[in-house]
Amino acid sequence: MTTATLTATLPPSTHEFSEVIHRLEAGGSMLPDTPDNLKQIIGIYKAYAVPMDFYWRDLLYIAEQVFLNPLPAFKYFISEEYLDRPNAYAGDTADLRIWRGEADAHPELRAFMEKGEVNRKLPKLLHHLWHDRVNMEFAEACMEAMLWHEDINPGFNAYLDSEEYKQNSDRAIRAYFKGNPAMLGLYKLFPEMFLEQVKKLSYYANLGLFWEVMAPVFFEMSDLYDEGKMTTVPEAMEFLVNGIFAVAGRPIYHHVYIDGECYEIIPKSQAFTWLYEAALPYVEAVFYRTAPFRGTKSYNAQAGQIPADQKDFHYGILYADVFPVGSAGIPPTLLMQDMLHFLPDYLVEEYQKHGRGEDDMLIQLGITFQRSMYNVTSAVIQALRTALLYPLDDPNPEHLKANRQFFEQQIDRFKRPEARLRDVQDQSYR
Amino acid sequence: MPSIVEIAVETEGFSTLVAAVQAAGLVDVLATGGPFTVFAPTDDAFAKLPPGTVQTLVDNPPQLARILKYHVVAGSWRKADLSSTDTLTSLESSPIPIRTEPNFEVKNSTVVAADIEADNGVIHVIDNVILMG
Repeated sequence: MTTATLTATLPPSTHEFSEVIHRLEAGGSMLPDTPDNLKQIIGIYKAYAVPMDFYWRDLLYIAEQVFLNPLPAFKYFISEEYLDRPNAYAGDTADLRIWRGEADAHPELRAFMEKGEVNRKLPKLLHHLWHDRVNMEFAEACMEAMLWHEDINPGFNAYLDSEEYKQNSDRAIRAYFKGNPAMLGLYKLFPEMFLEQVKKLSYYANLGLFWEVMAPVFFEMSDLYDEGKMTTVPEAMEFLVNGIFAVAGRPIYHHVYIDGECYEIIPKSQAFTWLYEAALPYVEAVFYRTAPFRGTKSYNAQAGQIPADQKDFHYGILYADVFPVGSAGIPPTLLMQDMLHFLPDYLVEEYQKHGRGEDDMLIQLGITFQRSMYNVTSAVIQALRTALLYPLDDPNPEHLKANRQFFEQQIDRFKRPEARLRDVQDQSYR
Repeated sequence: MPSIVEIAVETEGFSTLVAAVQAAGLVDVLATGGPFTVFAPTDDAFAKLPPGTVQTLVDNPPQLARILKYHVVAGSWRKADLSSTDTLTSLESSPIPIRTEPNFEVKNSTVVAADIEADNGVIHVIDNVILMG
């Protein structure tokens, strides 16, 4: 944290983003520390955490209960049991209490599910058909990005290809379709087709377990801010860093429940962990890579707009152009629409003062969200530096040089013109 | 000569490590198997981890065992044997970067006591818990 030692032992960085590098070296975030930035990111963490509380519950519901239903028309209609399911990091029964609030579904989420935007108590199905609901497709798109960018999760994917996994899946598939000769016959003819679906469901479980942690972290940050106990952007980043470490060793697993019996498709004993098999792959898949927006890039193979190598994909939130949010072919619109329902009042007031006021709120909150994800990514970079390299006040100049090199490498990824790192340095980017 | 586990139990400053090895069910492996090279973090090293980290691991033995296996390498590697080696492969199967000059460093930790002999291997005491990746 001591800038003085740093400047005394290392010459200034010559990196294009040297200002950001120096800020990271001083224990800061990629996002400048201003009260406005703090207000924006915390407000949006709160607005994000409520739909996320639905996402993780429904992801686990689909992975564990809906499983291989060939016509999963009601997969977004989660059971009461999954709404009541205690979050492992909130409430009195928590393994490690991160949020001081209750462990079951958030009250704002329950209220929205009951009455929706129309603010009328209607049957679930009508809310759904009127599209008055949480856009669960966004969570599935994130899951698909993790599934498809398979090079970033080698240990996990090696297990999904193992004989043991195939046997575990086989047992569950047979139990699920017991007494259904049509599906069992189809399974016999095309076993790979079913296996691929089970792999996808394992990623549902993976992402569900990842977000089960992030929701209480964001709720707690919002509460601390409201209580006046979180006052700077670096503090907000530090809270995330500690949150990441606290649950780094949480098991990632996939259990399926068929006729009340548990089938362990990925057992906890495989020793997959939250940090290595969920959090880091998620950040790479969703923040950096994802897939090109259908509304901004041509998939035409002759046009060559989209890279041939998956590692060169740069369509995540850190690169996204948020201005066309709300128009066709821009997937993050789904999330922006979800967060719109749960904005704290202070952010709504803020948006009314800028841009086109309430009319372009979706875009303004999208840009706020981008800011907040630059702060989350900063936390990931600082956590990696803590885990793999050296303290920021290390007296050994060689160690500081290694830290510098690491930060510069990370920031190199934002040199490409699409990256929004430069924009978020500027308060007028809204 | 005592085994790796016996040395850890009898030496002061390794109570967290010993408790972790017990929680992870690795006592038998480290007491009778081998030979191993163990990079043993001190209690102070564990105390440097942010709050909650150790608790979550102790609650989940397979995950804890995986982190501990990253501190163990097959074979007896004394400091002198490592002078021409850049990396070792841990029992966890991830690589561990090693430097012996100017200081004896294992990944981002420094060896504070090297070449402690046990009857089934050798122990190097380190000042940080090391992590894969």
